[in-house]
Amino acid sequence: MLAYILRRILASIPLLIGISIVSFIIIQLPPGDFATTYEQQLISQANMSPKDAAKAADGYRALYGLDKPVWQQYLIWIKGIVTEGKFGYSFAYKKDVGELIAERLPRTLFLALSAHFISTFFGLIIGIYSATHKYSLGDNLATVLAFIGTAVPRFFLALVLVYLMVVEWNYPYIGRYTSPQFAFQPMSMDKFVDILRYAWPVIIIAGLGGIARNMRVMRGNLLDNLNAQYVTTARAKGLRENTVIYKHAVPNALHPIIMYQGTVLPYMIQGELEAAIVLNMPTLAPMFYSSLAIQDIYVSGGFLMIYAILLVAGNLIADILLAIVDPRIRFGMSANVSAPG
Amino acid sequence: MAHDTGLDVIEDAMEESLPIQEIEKDRAIEYPLLPDREGHDVSPEVTLMLRRSMRTQHESYATLVWRKFRKSKIAIVGGLIVLSLFIMAIFADFFSPYDPVRLNMSEGFIPPTQLHFVDETGQFHIRPFVYKRVQVLNADMTATWTDDTKVRYPINFFVPGWEYKLFGLIPMNIHLYGVAGDATIYLLGTDRFGRDMYGRSCLAGRISLTMALFGTLISVAVGSIVGVFSGYYGGAVDNWTQRFVEFVQSFPQLPLWMALAAIIPITWDQFAVFVTMSIIFALLSWTLLAREVRGKVLALRETDFVLAAQEMGASDRRIMFAHLLPNTLSHIIVVLTLTIPTIILAESFLSFLGIGIQEPLVSWGTMMRDAQTLQTLGFNPWIASSVFFIIAAVLGFNFLGDGLRRCGSHTMSMSGAGALLTKTRERRLHS
Repeated sequence: MLAYILRRILASIPLLIGISIVSFIIIQLPPGDFATTYEQQLISQANMSPKDAAKAADGYRALYGLDKPVWQQYLIWIKGIVTEGKFGYSFAYKKDVGELIAERLPRTLFLALSAHFISTFFGLIIGIYSATHKYSLGDNLATVLAFIGTAVPRFFLALVLVYLMVVEWNYPYIGRYTSPQFAFQPMSMDKFVDILRYAWPVIIIAGLGGIARNMRVMRGNLLDNLNAQYVTTARAKGLRENTVIYKHAVPNALHPIIMYQGTVLPYMIQGELEAAIVLNMPTLAPMFYSSLAIQDIYVSGGFLMIYAILLVAGNLIADILLAIVDPRIRFGMSANVSAPG
Repeated sequence: MAHDTGLDVIEDAMEESLPIQEIEKDRAIEYPLLPDREGHDVSPEVTLMLRRSMRTQHESYATLVWRKFRKSKIAIVGGLIVLSLFIMAIFADFFSPYDPVRLNMSEGFIPPTQLHFVDETGQFHIRPFVYKRVQVLNADMTATWTDDTKVRYPINFFVPGWEYKLFGLIPMNIHLYGVAGDATIYLLGTDRFGRDMYGRSCLAGRISLTMALFGTLISVAVGSIVGVFSGYYGGAVDNWTQRFVEFVQSFPQLPLWMALAAIIPITWDQFAVFVTMSIIFALLSWTLLAREVRGKVLALRETDFVLAAQEMGASDRRIMFAHLLPNTLSHIIVVLTLTIPTIILAESFLSFLGIGIQEPLVSWGTMMRDAQTLQTLGFNPWIASSVFFIIAAVLGFNFLGDGLRRCGSHTMSMSGAGALLTKTRERRLHS
């Protein structure tokens, strides 16, 4: 088992190196750099002559290594990440990007994981209900809602919620992660409740699509399993229907759900991204969005990296979980688990 | 091959647990009963089976899919939604009573026009009518739009109006509906600049739908070619291709799309932006199909017809593109219909944020940009109405894809190929 996990971790290293190179290339693609923005600011706001401003911008480039060739900049960037945990300097926030990530990543993770949790929990429950009450009113309703849940743009849901909170309900807990009085306090029960007051809209919006997807996968798998021979055998033995469903069919229907976990986390993070930008929740998302506009390249690149790492880590965890439940994978045999639809 | 046995009828019957004659009752009646060896008439069920077995041999793949498709209600509904959205987009000018790009500042933020059937006196009119909108000044100096109920303006159909060119070629001025006189009809209200929201939504469908379609087509082309190569050659080619696919799949879709779309210079012309955006969306979407096609081709590679083609000296290219790829068509179509809604949703979000598609290009996402301001949204909720087009499009394609997947997987099992057949058979044997 340990060998399998190690093998998987080692295999993801070249993946991450490739991702870092592509991220870096993308953020370097647009013409100009932050020094160009700085130069224009000096001309327009500080009334500097274009010549002086160009000189100052060159000085700025030299200071932060923007004048070096791209591959050198890349190596410096990577060296900083690996050796010191520094993700480059944010020109807009005048801080190391690593600090920004350290501040905001836990929030993004908390929101995404909470959304993940509610989507798995409710998705499974509704899925089991739907499968065991096939074609009933509840099942049809759940199926229709599931379709709608994946079809409504999340930014629109966020927009509706913002509108309701601000205009209709006068709901004060918006646009922040915690209330000011909790900002510098260590985590406590009060602070947690306070965070939830701000966080629930993002969690619900990010989780809604996940509930729908999990529900559909669970319903399909459970229906397949309920038609299988072993379930007929279990029923023929005279087991109670609940035992048949929850001890025999459900655990077997869970395999594809677990396999699917790796792809659900990025889905949640994307949901969090959409909702947090509209709700202006200070997580990674709005900062990533604004950094794109002002070419704060190390913020864009670093955040892109972090999102990719989360994705790779999510897949890794899912693979390991699946290896725990399915020994065929652990021993390198091909798993015969059908892909989720 | 199983398709000469009429098994599909029985399979259908088993799956839907209906007796055969109920599934195709009307058809069974049409057939005269066939005699068996001793000359006695056989039962209608057997007749149907025999007839079917004679017929299925000559049925084309398209007929097969269509027969399944027709039975899937959800696919039909999805198909109709998609079809009507496309019709509205193609004939956007015909559907909009007013020029959707002309500014008309005096008519900004008019709420959706209400259609009436019953007038002030309580009399019913078979033809719907509208009232003229007039602006009245409230006591607090704000202006609101109210109906002037003195005169009824009946809705006319196929009325002449503003000039446009059908398909960009044929000059026309006929519109689906309109009202005469100085009344106006805005089914979804107007935006800040007094442009008809319904007409604009139809127009926006052109960009939103074609971009999703174009992006998907690129990703389908790339995905199926990569998948066929990877599956057919196998070995090292397959191994490296799959590593590359995994690599592309490890990119976070939405953030990368945002980063790439943000790079597009605002000075580019509309067409270049459109094409680039489509390519950006295709860039991360092809991997799903590449994997599906590869899996299918891996299974098909070992079948007799590929061996036969090889023995007859067909080139690799011919085997891949004339024999293998057409057999993965059902997968390709399903993935295609399921990729489109993803791109529609992503495009609308990016456009909503103002990255990528910009004015004067109009998509469902850019139309919702005004809704970002809470005040505007609060006073004029209809300016977000293009969201219903997004929802309809996503639902329509999802329904279609879901329905196609069901009939697709079934036709595949009939063409007798691959793991899916074995799996279905096994399941049937066990159940």
